[in-house]
Amino acid sequence: MTRDPAVEAYLRAAADHMPGPRLARADILAELRSGLLDAIDAKRAAGLPEQAATEAAITEFGNPREVASGFRPHLAMIQARRTALAIAATGPLVGSLWAAAALASHIRLRHAPPWEWPGAPPLSAAAFPAIAATLLILIMSTVIAIATTGTLSRWLPASPRIAAAAAAAAGFTAVAGDLAILALLASQLTSAPGSLDPIPVAAATAASLTRLTLARRAACSCLAIRATLS
Amino acid sequence: MRAETLKGHLDGLLLASLEAGPRHGYAIMEALRSGSGGQFDLPTGTVYPALRRLERAGLIEGTWSQEGGRQRRVYELTPAGRRTLTAERGTWQQFSAAVTALLQPAPKPAMP
Repeated sequence: MTRDPAVEAYLRAAADHMPGPRLARADILAELRSGLLDAIDAKRAAGLPEQAATEAAITEFGNPREVASGFRPHLAMIQARRTALAIAATGPLVGSLWAAAALASHIRLRHAPPWEWPGAPPLSAAAFPAIAATLLILIMSTVIAIATTGTLSRWLPASPRIAAAAAAAAGFTAVAGDLAILALLASQLTSAPGSLDPIPVAAATAASLTRLTLARRAACSCLAIRATLS
Repeated sequence: MRAETLKGHLDGLLLASLEAGPRHGYAIMEALRSGSGGQFDLPTGTVYPALRRLERAGLIEGTWSQEGGRQRRVYELTPAGRRTLTAERGTWQQFSAAVTALLQPAPKPAMP
């Protein structure tokens, strides 16, 4: 398919003002392209010569910056939803890997019941309530972000700013949760190095580090796109 | 007619334009323009974000399809969209009947 340079220039101008997930943007731009080509066809069918038809179609579509700004709330919702869904999916996975690591360390190495942590560092007493509070914030912000960006947005006062903020909060809380549990691990390693089962602990650490990196990046994207909303 | 005047009604009008069957974005725009006798002449680019919003709310569903050698995103009403359209239509009819009644010129006072 030969591409009309004027149409492509219009789409590039719109794309420049359209932050958000790559696939979602590509889908929007493809739809705008097919719409512009339809508009050009309609103008030519009405008797305009080729170049004039293209110009008229582009004028009819409106300023590319304004068209792009119309999509920004939609793109912010998609970014927020993706972030929150990814956290909802990875949360239980990372959590159960840590639970498995803790259980394995108890059962295989210490032969102690799970509520007894001989040689547990003093940090752990504060870390458990902190992790519980983090978990609560994490679940609440994830639920808000998912609820306000899906079909429930039919009834809920859907605000892309709130959705993006909630998703960013969920992302940063997940980062904080991962950091807390890694700090707990570090203190356990220094105070009682032999008390951990290496393989499940390494698997949980790898999962937490990966999730931490991705969650931080997604949360930053949510804040960045939120900043472009007027 | 200015875009702001239409703003609160655009969703209902878009749903109505899909009542007869699936349409792609440009055809929806043409339907609004010709159906209003040229009164609703919005910048075409503003219709597309509104369609995405309705899709996210589950009122319409868009799918890419190959049509006449061109990929087009074709939208159709979902059952929820159909119900919303019926409700919007009822609300509008009540509202417009009330406004019409109130805007009628008052009968001239009887001469003494």
